[in-house]
Amino acid sequence: MKRIIQLTINDKEYEVAVEPNQTLTDMLRYELGLTGTKKGCEVGDCGSCTVIMDGIPVNSCLVLAMQANGRKITTIEGLETEKGMHPIQKAFVEKGAIQCGFCTPGMILSSKSLLDKNPNPTEEEIRAGISGNLCRCTGYQKIVDAVKSVGK
Amino acid sequence: MLLPKFDFHEPATLEEACQIMAEYGTRAKVLAGGTDLLVDMKKKLSTPKQVVSITRIKEMKKIETSPDGLKLGPCFTVADVAASEAIVKRWRALCAGAKALGNPLVRNLATIGGNVVTASPSADLPPSLIAYGARVVLKKTSGERVVSLDHFFLGAGLTEIAPDEILTEIQIDAPPLYSGAGYINEGIRKCRDCNVVNVASFITLDGPDGFIKNARIVMGCVGSTDLRAVSAEKLLVGEKPSETLFARAGEAAMQEAAPRGSAESRASAEYKKDMVGVLTSRTLHLAWKEALGH
Amino acid sequence: MSGYDVIGTEAPRIDAPDKATGRALFIDDMTMPGMLYGALLQSPLAHARIRGIDTSAAKQLPGVKSVVTWEDAGLVKYGVSPARYDETIFCHDKVRHVGDNVAAVAAVDLETALEAVSLIKVDYEDLPAVFTIEQAMAEGAPLVHDIYPRNISAEVHNEFGDVEAAFKECDLIKMTSLVNKRQDCAFIEPQGCIAYYDHSGTLTLYSSTQVPHYTQRSVAMVLGMPIGKVRVVKPYVGGGFGAKASANHMELAACLMSMKTGKPVKMNFEREQVFYHGRSRHQFFHTMTTGVKRDGTILALKHECYMNGGAYSSFGIATVYYAGSLLGGPYKMPNMKYDGYRIATNLPACGAQRGHGGVIARGCWEQQLDMIAEELGMDPVELRLKNIMTAGDITCNDLNMSSLGMKECIEAVRDASEWKNKKGKLPRGKGIGMACGFFVSGAGYPIYRSDTFHGTVVIKLTEDGGTALVYTASAEIGQGSDTAFAMIAAEALGIPLEMVRLESGDTDFGVDLGAYSSRQTLMTGHATKEAAEDVKRQVLEVLSKELNVPMEDMDIKKGLIVFKKEKPDFSGLRTRYIKEHRGWVDNPGAEDELSFREASRIAYLARGSIVGTGKYKPPELGGKFKGAAVGTSPAYGCSAQIVELTVDEGTGRIIIDKMVDAHDCGRAINRTSVEGQMQGSLSMGMGEALFEEVKFDARGRILNADLAEYKIPSALDMPPTEVIVVESNEPNGPFGAKEVGEGNIMATIPAILNAVYDAVGVRIYELPLNPERVHKALKEYKQKNKI
Repeated sequence: MKRIIQLTINDKEYEVAVEPNQTLTDMLRYELGLTGTKKGCEVGDCGSCTVIMDGIPVNSCLVLAMQANGRKITTIEGLETEKGMHPIQKAFVEKGAIQCGFCTPGMILSSKSLLDKNPNPTEEEIRAGISGNLCRCTGYQKIVDAVKSVGK
Repeated sequence: MLLPKFDFHEPATLEEACQIMAEYGTRAKVLAGGTDLLVDMKKKLSTPKQVVSITRIKEMKKIETSPDGLKLGPCFTVADVAASEAIVKRWRALCAGAKALGNPLVRNLATIGGNVVTASPSADLPPSLIAYGARVVLKKTSGERVVSLDHFFLGAGLTEIAPDEILTEIQIDAPPLYSGAGYINEGIRKCRDCNVVNVASFITLDGPDGFIKNARIVMGCVGSTDLRAVSAEKLLVGEKPSETLFARAGEAAMQEAAPRGSAESRASAEYKKDMVGVLTSRTLHLAWKEALGH
Repeated sequence: MSGYDVIGTEAPRIDAPDKATGRALFIDDMTMPGMLYGALLQSPLAHARIRGIDTSAAKQLPGVKSVVTWEDAGLVKYGVSPARYDETIFCHDKVRHVGDNVAAVAAVDLETALEAVSLIKVDYEDLPAVFTIEQAMAEGAPLVHDIYPRNISAEVHNEFGDVEAAFKECDLIKMTSLVNKRQDCAFIEPQGCIAYYDHSGTLTLYSSTQVPHYTQRSVAMVLGMPIGKVRVVKPYVGGGFGAKASANHMELAACLMSMKTGKPVKMNFEREQVFYHGRSRHQFFHTMTTGVKRDGTILALKHECYMNGGAYSSFGIATVYYAGSLLGGPYKMPNMKYDGYRIATNLPACGAQRGHGGVIARGCWEQQLDMIAEELGMDPVELRLKNIMTAGDITCNDLNMSSLGMKECIEAVRDASEWKNKKGKLPRGKGIGMACGFFVSGAGYPIYRSDTFHGTVVIKLTEDGGTALVYTASAEIGQGSDTAFAMIAAEALGIPLEMVRLESGDTDFGVDLGAYSSRQTLMTGHATKEAAEDVKRQVLEVLSKELNVPMEDMDIKKGLIVFKKEKPDFSGLRTRYIKEHRGWVDNPGAEDELSFREASRIAYLARGSIVGTGKYKPPELGGKFKGAAVGTSPAYGCSAQIVELTVDEGTGRIIIDKMVDAHDCGRAINRTSVEGQMQGSLSMGMGEALFEEVKFDARGRILNADLAEYKIPSALDMPPTEVIVVESNEPNGPFGAKEVGEGNIMATIPAILNAVYDAVGVRIYELPLNPERVHKALKEYKQKNKI
């Protein structure tokens, strides 16, 4: 049976009626139209559905919408402000870290979480930090370069 | 992929959780991190009618350290285990297991309790926990019991937990002086891999740079549950540590491993057996270094 | 130095901001009013006769709007090559692999559709199945298709020169083999589509595809519609790598069900279905015999290849040709004999994947060349340098190396990796290896026999002046083609990149064969350049008349009109322009140069909409022998790679420490994108070399149809990569450009094989080099050599 949950997404309060078997990914995408959160595998293998929940990046495909009740969620749509793109987004654009772009939202959110904790990561720390997000296009080098450029 | 239909419970207290489990028994499943359960449900391998999340119960996320040891709530996440200074200081091999599990996103959701209860013979935390002699507390409405992890796992996916019980705490004693442990997992890639073989070793010396007084070696992926390499342990006790000794222990462990190789598994029995030897001696080396204070 | 203003720069991609902010729309991000959700019923059996299909329960389920089987779909055969059309939307007589398509449902939501699928009852009669080449070719083996005797779905036999005679001249003859495992393209976005048949009788298919054009043709042909009534639109696509390079059953089923219901129908593959659809790299069994002179001169290659193709032909007929023809270069070799066989089995169909047909062949041969070098006492780099072709050389199978910076590539990686200080000198367990490769810049001929242009482009100037709209049916699938074409249009037209807007991936925009065989930069690039030049000519024609300046004395550069001789008085034009823009604050000042914006507005006022068109089709290429078309291309890219790695001799695990890659792309249109293609190729090649393998059980079911157990490299597995762009200025390419998307993957596997040998002295002839395989090889090596 549907239940109403309340949560904060990208600093905005939401009340959403959700089914118990609805994942956070599906709620974001299909109920709220926040389609920047992608679905690549739906079982926590690829990381393209990454969102930041209470400060921690997680696979939203493995979180029930109801589990997100009362929590604070940041999706890729929340990084851009009226001042423009987030510095990490800009770095991804400028360094050529984006090819097909399907892993990009998750990759950027994992990078943001890493940089929030560790503003000057080494290359190895960056690689470890984004290792939950698979990319088939770039070979990761330019993503690593982009994250490094923001770190400095 | 859609999840099957179920009722969702999110009790605020342990008592409430126990009552729900008492009511529904086998029709209910406890949800912690969800990294195994929700995947199994999406693949329709598990279709509980009731899902009981225990992550909102405060004490389920606790960490209590004392000179005697460590008590962890089942919902303490694997990422937190990996990052805990208290744990890395005294239970280094457990930390190593946590760091090796899956990938950062999975570690942020996955819990220590879930990793134990799932009872996968390739799981990253149980070998170290068993090597450290950990116990778990199982609770139901009518009371609780403490079970050593040595006797907890009954088979792949099978444990001592009764349908109306919840694992509420993991207890690990402080290692004695001159002890050390090591954990190594061998997968295919550098991260995010299910293991091909994993081994945890724990030794206690009878003094600084002394003889081995106690040894525990736990092998994963080579049986339906984690296995103790008893003869290898026996071989070590009373001996002065050395790489030659560790190599012999590795060979003894290989004889005890009973891996099944098939197309389905991630490697052949022969390779797994060989790796038990390699990882046993390598983890013993790590344990020795720690015991020596390195 | 190049004299170009836009191309050759590192301009950020035009699609990157939308992708970085989550705004870019991929297929599953789209919805339409009244949309239905579809699901497929796929076979659980590898080979079975269909005795009956009962859809009655599914049809009765509330919310179900359409249930279709072969009876609704008809039995028009389709596929990739018309010579091997062997698929229908749905199976009717039998299923040929697990995951073969039997029926489809459209319903008000996905849950209902899936439930309805589960209610369809199929009466199967299990048939004996064949999964391996040995099983399939055995005497009396069951046939996957009656039309392929002994299950050979395609075979190639050709000989150039006289191999046996050449062998008699050789001082060393070496025979080795290599076998890989079936791959999966493993793009991160699963295929998906929305089909909408509207009231005007137009069918629009939005799909995650690499080839809108071929998909349009397949849909029209199979559903019996005029091509003009079928429109295929490609939104942003999350990678393709080959497996999305043909129409799939899901697209056709969605179209059919939309026609039946009059509603939009959305369908998506789950990840498991991506694997069961397959159409990625085949499993190849190569055996090669090479003969050389004592000084290292390569004289002849005898090559035999068997490929496990799966249940349908897909790209296979091209694959089996490519597997042979792509060894014609980049080394001079007068004699080559090739026998290739593609075998049908009861597994999902294989097709094309990055480096189509050539990757494992290259792996086999380049490892063998290393062995030959060792036996001759030559440095592997020297052996290659001795034999490489140079620009103007033609291979024995008639491939024309119109440009070839092979030497520059080899020297670049040799120097960047300090090869001379490392080869054979690293401590045991550490190794260095090198290899080369080359690849087509677009297939010389379309997949269906036709005189069609391979690409047409339309550029229209906005009537206000100042913006060039580029319309191309080409497919941006992540490789950066939209940006490349916008840059080419800007350069050719003489305006800044910001003044170009580009729309792509829509069959209404023209013909473009799509994103495969590394064709777009060269082919669509040519068409774009021609269209831009057409527009430029029209603008200058009007100016010439208005200002009375000869055309040839004018040019457009950086958005301004350049007068090569005396500057005419254009104040009259400017006054007219400004008059029409009263209130605008950015009108040109009296001292400013005449701008393109002003000129194009004046051109519109004189002629109406300014529209330029461009087209491209390669000249007739290749020899006259059977299959001569496969492997032909207007140009060839080439690359050299050096890999450094560490082998853990206890576990057999390989850690790649560093990769250096140099690639001749003719000219880099966008330098950043060129590097990105190189790095991506390295990553895919590395995964294939070390980890990747689709595994089956004894009944043809995939054991690892997910991204946990099908292991593509993570950021931690990839080492730091150094990529060196070599520019040779290809005469047949637009602005000198040629391919970069696929050639780079060629050298990765053999460079790793050769580095493993350098590290531990072991040659391995089977991929992937996972820890167990390496460990086993080391164990056998130690036993044999009593170490």
